[in-house]
Amino acid sequence: MAENKETIIQVNHLSKSFGDLKVLNDISTEFKAQEVVSIIGPSGGGKSTFLRCLNLLEIPTAGEIFFDGVDICSKKVDVDLHRQKMGMVFQQFNLFENMNVMKNLTIAPMKILKISKEEAEARAHALIKRVGLADKLTSYPSQLSGGQKQRIAIVRALMMNPAVMLFDEPTSALDPEMVGEVLGVMRDLAETGMTMIVVTHEMRFAREVSTRTLFLDGGTIGEDKPSKELFAHPENPRLVSFLEKVL
Amino acid sequence: MEFLTTMWNLVTKYSGFFLEGVGNTLILSFFTVLLGTILGTLMATARMSKIAPLRWFAAAYIEFFRGTPLMVQLMFIFYGLPMIGITFPDVSFIPNFDRFAAGVVAMSLNSCAYVAEIIRSGIQAVDKGQTEAARSLGFHEGQTMRLVVLPQAIRNILPALGNEFVTDIKESSIVSVIGIADLMYRSKGVIAKTYNSLECLAIAAIIYFVMTFVSSRLIALLERKMSRGRK
Repeated sequence: MAENKETIIQVNHLSKSFGDLKVLNDISTEFKAQEVVSIIGPSGGGKSTFLRCLNLLEIPTAGEIFFDGVDICSKKVDVDLHRQKMGMVFQQFNLFENMNVMKNLTIAPMKILKISKEEAEARAHALIKRVGLADKLTSYPSQLSGGQKQRIAIVRALMMNPAVMLFDEPTSALDPEMVGEVLGVMRDLAETGMTMIVVTHEMRFAREVSTRTLFLDGGTIGEDKPSKELFAHPENPRLVSFLEKVL
Repeated sequence: MEFLTTMWNLVTKYSGFFLEGVGNTLILSFFTVLLGTILGTLMATARMSKIAPLRWFAAAYIEFFRGTPLMVQLMFIFYGLPMIGITFPDVSFIPNFDRFAAGVVAMSLNSCAYVAEIIRSGIQAVDKGQTEAARSLGFHEGQTMRLVVLPQAIRNILPALGNEFVTDIKESSIVSVIGIADLMYRSKGVIAKTYNSLECLAIAAIIYFVMTFVSSRLIALLERKMSRGRK
C-alpha cells in the first residue's frame, strides 16, 4: 500500500559521530506519506540519534536528508521553517514549565504561524478533546501526571499541523499504568493517516500499529521490513536474539 | 547601659555625619547594582556567545575579577589609572566626583563578574529539553530564549542576584579607603573626633544591617510575587 505514496523524508548515507564514537554509519532509507514506522533495537544502537538527526536536533556528520524535496542538511536551508512541519515528542515530555497547558498548545501556532489567539484556542479545544484532557487547559505541567503530560505534548506538536510526527521513546519515562493511555492516542493518530516515525521499546505497538519496522543496531539498519513480516520471520541473527530478549 | 547611652549621644550629636554616610553608601550601591546588572547581563551573553574570542574574553574577565580582591581593583582604578594618563573628570557641582566615579566603576566592574556568573548558571540550569522542545516546534534561537528559557531562568537568577545586591551594600564599605564619604568613612571620622571606637562601629554595624535586612526582605517579597500562580 505504501509503495505508491509520495516520499516525505529521504535519507541518504547518513552518518553521525560524537568525537571518535561513530553512532550512525551510512544509513539510507525513506519514509512515505501515511507510513507508521517503528524503530527498534538495543540501547546505544543509534535509534534516538537517528530520529534527532531527522529534525537536526543532532547535526549529521555526513549524508543528506531530503524533506519536502529539500536537503535540510545544507547550510543554506532555514531549519526552523522545516522543523515547523515536523512534530516531535520527547521521552521527557518537555512541556514548557512556565506556561499552563493552553499556553503550551497555542504559543507556537500564534508566534510562528501567526494565527490569531481565538483560532489557536479553538484548535486547542478541538484537539485536546481528542486526548480526553479538556479539563486540564488551565493546569501547569507540574500539576499533571506523566501520561497526561505526554498526551498534551503530542497535542502541542499537532497544533502546528505537521506533515510528520517524530516520537522519541514516548512511553519510556512513564509509569506502567500510563503507557496504555499514550499508546492509545498514538494508535488513534495513526488511524487518521498521520505519518509517524516512532523510536520505541513497545514491541506490541511496533507489531500491531506500525506499518514498517526498522531494526537499528550498531549504527546501521539491521533489518527493514513490513512490521508483521519482521516479527514473524526475523532474519538478521542479532534481531532474532534481540527479539528473544524483549518478547 | 553606659555603652548604649554613649551610642545614643553619638547618634544624636553626629546624625548629620552618619546620614550623609548612609546617603553616599546607598547612592554608591544603587549605581553599582544598576551598572553591575547591566554589564553583568552583557558579560553573561558574551560568556555564552558563539563567537569564541568573545567567550574567551568574558571567561578571562570573570576569572580575573572574581580572583582578585576588590580592594586591589579599587586602588588600581583610583591610583593606578591616572599614572597611565586615564583620569576621572572633576565635576564642579558634585564634590569629589572623581573619587566617587572611581568607586562606582571599580564596584560595578567587580559586581559585573559575579552577576555574569549568576545569570549564566541560572540559564544553564534550565533543562535542555525545554530548548529542544521549543526548537523542534520551529522557534528560532532568540524566541526560545525569550519565551521559554529566560522566564524559567529568572526564577533561578533572582534569589542569587538578591544576595549579590546585599553583598554590594556591605562591600561598598571598602571605598572608604579612597576617601569616599560613605557610612564607613563617616564612622571612622566620628571615631577620630570622639575616640568612642566601639560605639561608633556598633552604630555603623547596626545601620549596615538595617540596610541589608530591608533590601533582602524587599527582594524576598519580589520573588514571592513572581512565583505566584505557579506550581
